[in-house]
Amino acid sequence: MRIRLLVLIAAIVATLSFSRVLWAQSAQGSAGAKAPTASAGIPDLSGIWDPDFHGPEGIRLNTWDSSDPFAQHPEKAPMTPWAAEKFKSVRPPFGALQTMDNTNDPVQRFCDPPGIPRIYMYPWEITFIQTPKVVYILYEYTKVWRAVAMDRDHPKDPDSSWMGDAIGRYEGGAFVIDTIGFNDKTWLDQTGHPHSDALHIIERFRRLDRERLELAVTIDDPKAYTKTFSASKVYKLTNAPMGETLCAYSEMKSFQENVIDKTQTSSGK
Amino acid sequence: MAKISVFVAAVVALLVLSVPAFAHHGVAGYDMAKTITVHGTVTKFDWSNPHVVVYVDAKNDSGELQHWTIEFASPVHMVRAGWSKNSMKTGDDIVIDTHPSRNGAPIGITSTITFILKTVVNGQPLPTRSE
Repeated sequence: MRIRLLVLIAAIVATLSFSRVLWAQSAQGSAGAKAPTASAGIPDLSGIWDPDFHGPEGIRLNTWDSSDPFAQHPEKAPMTPWAAEKFKSVRPPFGALQTMDNTNDPVQRFCDPPGIPRIYMYPWEITFIQTPKVVYILYEYTKVWRAVAMDRDHPKDPDSSWMGDAIGRYEGGAFVIDTIGFNDKTWLDQTGHPHSDALHIIERFRRLDRERLELAVTIDDPKAYTKTFSASKVYKLTNAPMGETLCAYSEMKSFQENVIDKTQTSSGK
Repeated sequence: MAKISVFVAAVVALLVLSVPAFAHHGVAGYDMAKTITVHGTVTKFDWSNPHVVVYVDAKNDSGELQHWTIEFASPVHMVRAGWSKNSMKTGDDIVIDTHPSRNGAPIGITSTITFILKTVVNGQPLPTRSE
């Protein structure tokens, strides 16, 4: 009996300790309040994070080149000749080269997954589920998720995939994700900058305070770019529950035909 | 009753074009420097992704009936702004500001993730949002 009681108490203590990591915060604190930590050196990333397109800190990015965040000169990105040649054929929906006339954006045209890191350029929420061995990231946009392994290295020769092979670590209070193993079917950003299967991305999530979460993205792709580059943006804690933003091809096609295509012809018909 | 009046908003088109105001596509097809008011009758309210769309029958200044198609942000973002699938229905009277298509077609955009222009249904204003 006594042993059973001790086991029960131990189970409750363990559950409470673990649930602290999973505990969902509500967005009711004040800006500037100290960011909570799950345990020593591990930031508490729980809660729902909104990219905040409205506030003064809501940074809307079109590219990851911080010298040209709105892609007013997307052709000036540090592309290799291989990437520059691919870039000539893109018809992107954003930036200075934007067009909705027969765009070949794989997301816009085919509902392809936006991939990493382009998914962070959309105005939808994200949330984290932290466990000791895996951190899951759930994305409101298209309802996709990633599993970031916390207890292993990359495979020596990973299969190529839309989301890549992601491993993570906690470093200086930040959650750092290292991802390789991508296919080359996605665009890096909203303006059609290409990438190769050698793409290597570092994401660094850091809580600035209780209300704000900073994401810094660093792009390294020696086949496509002559140097690494990076940009950052800020998410805010929100009470708005995540909703449904699936990319249904039938809906996308209907919208394209009934609205967008009619803005592109001379007569509108 | 139905009437379309036109006025020019103080927006610099180049500046607007440089900002990614849309969730899933840019605004190149619309004249963001111009805002018009459409007054007519709702013929369909399509509450679906990627963007909410309202179809409106309205007469222009010449008395000709036009079939307007006006888009908003995604359903999720419209909900967060205070709208719902019941914000309007077929047959409702609607007065709506919109940025018209550049090609002159009766197509407009009234909301993106960053703004919602004035929309009044049966005399009741719906939530708006400034850029």
